Amino acid sequence: MADTMASVESTEAAEHLEGFLNKTLHLHITDGRMFVGQLKCTDNERNIILAMTHEYRQPSQVDVKLAAERHEKAGKSGNVKVDMKKRFLGLVVVPGQYITKMEVEG
Amino acid sequence: MAVAEASQSLTIDDRETEGKGINFAAERLAQEARQPLSFSGSRGTQDVTAEFAAAAKQLPPGQLVKDEYFTLFEAVGALEIMDPKMDSGYIPPGDSVEPGFDVCLGLPAEEVIWIMDELLRLTIVWHDGYPLSQTVYPSLHVDRLLSPDNKAPYTFSFGDSTDQYVETEERLVHVVLRAFCVALVKSCALVLHTIQSQGFYEEEDFVTHLFGRELLPGTGADEALRLVDEAVRFVEEESELDKDMRSALSERLQFVRLYVSLLMNDIDDWTDMTAMDEIADTHALARARPEAFSDKVQRQLATSTPPRPMVPITWEEAHQRWLQLSADITEAGDLTDYDVCQSPHGLQRAIWVFVYRNPTPNTFARAYLQNILFAGEQVTEGITFFDLMLTDMRDLVLAGHELADPQSFVVEMPADPRHKCSRIMEAFMDKAFDEYMNLYRMVCQNRCRIRRTFTQSVGILDNLERDAQRSDSELDGVIGGILLPTEDDSALIALNPLTSWTKYHKLLVMSWTIQLGFETDIYLPHETGMMYWYLMVFAQRRRKLLEHIDRFTSARVKNLASSGDVRPHADAVVSLDWLAVLRKEVDLIISLSSALWQLNTALAMTKVIEAPKRDYAQEQLLYDVRMKSYLGIAHDPVPSLDEYRDAEQSIRSTDEACVNVDSAVKDAKACLAELKKTTSKQGKYFGTENEWKREMKQLETTCVAVAVQTFQLRSTAYKHGQHSLKGIVEVRVPPPGSRYHDWWPVPQIKIKEKIAVV
Repeated sequence: MADTMASVESTEAAEHLEGFLNKTLHLHITDGRMFVGQLKCTDNERNIILAMTHEYRQPSQVDVKLAAERHEKAGKSGNVKVDMKKRFLGLVVVPGQYITKMEVEG
Repeated sequence: MAVAEASQSLTIDDRETEGKGINFAAERLAQEARQPLSFSGSRGTQDVTAEFAAAAKQLPPGQLVKDEYFTLFEAVGALEIMDPKMDSGYIPPGDSVEPGFDVCLGLPAEEVIWIMDELLRLTIVWHDGYPLSQTVYPSLHVDRLLSPDNKAPYTFSFGDSTDQYVETEERLVHVVLRAFCVALVKSCALVLHTIQSQGFYEEEDFVTHLFGRELLPGTGADEALRLVDEAVRFVEEESELDKDMRSALSERLQFVRLYVSLLMNDIDDWTDMTAMDEIADTHALARARPEAFSDKVQRQLATSTPPRPMVPITWEEAHQRWLQLSADITEAGDLTDYDVCQSPHGLQRAIWVFVYRNPTPNTFARAYLQNILFAGEQVTEGITFFDLMLTDMRDLVLAGHELADPQSFVVEMPADPRHKCSRIMEAFMDKAFDEYMNLYRMVCQNRCRIRRTFTQSVGILDNLERDAQRSDSELDGVIGGILLPTEDDSALIALNPLTSWTKYHKLLVMSWTIQLGFETDIYLPHETGMMYWYLMVFAQRRRKLLEHIDRFTSARVKNLASSGDVRPHADAVVSLDWLAVLRKEVDLIISLSSALWQLNTALAMTKVIEAPKRDYAQEQLLYDVRMKSYLGIAHDPVPSLDEYRDAEQSIRSTDEACVNVDSAVKDAKACLAELKKTTSKQGKYFGTENEWKREMKQLETTCVAVAVQTFQLRSTAYKHGQHSLKGIVEVRVPPPGSRYHDWWPVPQIKIKEKIAVV
């Protein structure tokens, strides 16, 4: 009886996860980076395979300083907008142990 | 383009797509296109951390939840985040995110020289096929110029003017080093353009990936040259540096200026690149500033593959490679000059000679050669590809005959048989065009690809033979066949020129595939004997075909002599001479391959070479796989495994084999003696005379080696009673690169010392 209960739960869990497939996820990991891509695959350890992934990184102090300098030189005032650094990676696998936060788009 | 053609014959492996084939791939693409991709930051996102984690925990270990179209085969290519070997964005604990070096700082001349030399070293490493991300991009100065935040006129201060930098050391960076970097980046763009406009294999030969960066699109090569000239002016007139420093800096600037001008085709004497020697002389003036380069730039680059392992080369090795590159390109120009192109066979030989230079010319040099021949409508002044093919047909089968006379092709009267025949010829040549041009184009690729493409050509040329037969029939319909009585005068045989021409090339390509197979080491030791036998058979068939063609050309020479047509007669005589050389060459192949077949057979008979033990393998199946590309041939099918076995068994003893080898080697040597006397006009090897001589020597050495090894085997067999020599004799086949001739592996016999048992 316990086995059937367990398999019902695991089937429901699988169905629930299937609902996320091909949706765009934002994965935040332990070192502060964020990965945005389409979910293709996951498992019981929460390892995530994302397709068409972009990596986002918080701008460093150097980046902020340079942006502020350019802002001043251009004669603008007020707050400086510094974009996160973004680059395309393609297919990635993020081991579950490093994931701090998961968001889904839409 | 040959690469595109080759890719048409790729098939989708059913295993990878779980049996669903091309429709599967199409559905998958459609599905991905339907998914809207939005990377707009955190607009409209929902935190699902907890619920996802909870659901995932419920799954049994090992179960995957995956998209139905996503295959595990693809998963293997995923970059693993936080694994330092694959994640270029991973920052080891304690490491800084950015390299700390300020590229706007002034630098002393010695360090600027070092940075320039390092860039030259890395550029030649890029030429060898390593990605920009691991070669030129790690230069922080280049990285700054290419930064997405930078714009024309691309300065180290993000496009701002450099007027503020007045100190010498600052100007050395902002005027001199900047000009050098801009010119070098433009040179990379020009090299890429040449390579990508011709045939090459991505990842195998070269990596064209730009990693999300552009190579200074807002600045042209002309502007780069102007910057360099300004920099030279600064160095010579304003810098007030001492003489040695000034000339060291000027030399480097002039070198990169020369390189860019050559790439732009403004000038074309690549021998001037030996100026690299002067740069090497002043390399000692450089003082290292390694902080100006950093792998950390890779953290910012768009890349879907991990960094590849790199073997570092020294400055001196880089110097030699620059010299080699310039020598290769100069040679490419010489080998494809007007005179060489007059003979299609001569041009084909020239291309083979080029790619067999040692070391093999790099991807850019090979693209450069392809560019000379194939970029325009002509291979050289006044010779179109059509002219080349027609000359080829004329030289081989139709010398002196109206059918292949260029004048016939301009006859406009539709009723004129020459007009009709020319249209038939053109229609056939159209069909044969791609495969014919591959004879030139594919040779410019890497060895393995040459072999693989020609292996596919075999089937295509066989099909083309059918088209040739049809065209020959059509020609017969217009002018009647080109006929001669048989030896016994009982019947008439036809030349069938187009069929003969196609068949000749098919047999030639078949021989090449085996010899390239030897060179790329694809045969197991016990298969080599059989492959030599097939090489012999293919060569024998080519011999017969040459005899067939020769009969007709000889008859034509006689007729033209009495008719007084001087030009066609002269052409036919030249062709006859050449056919004689071709027959000698093919006789050499027959003798030498016969010798090596029988030597290998003797080694098999004495159990020195044995097939590996395979419990589930069947001989016929192994044979079918090995001979796959030849088994589909419909016109004169190749001998079967049984026929090969019969041939093998006709050799009754090891001793008999050895005697036959000696006799065959003698024949081969006789052929070589004859060939050595041929002139470059007779052999159509104008432009490649040195290589001809060298190859004759290599073949002679091969003959001697075969005889020596056979003698060793024979005397050992005699001593031990000709039974199994297993354990007494060991054989080793030298790998490609250490053979007398890479197309002729000769087994080396070693007699093991008998250890006396006391």
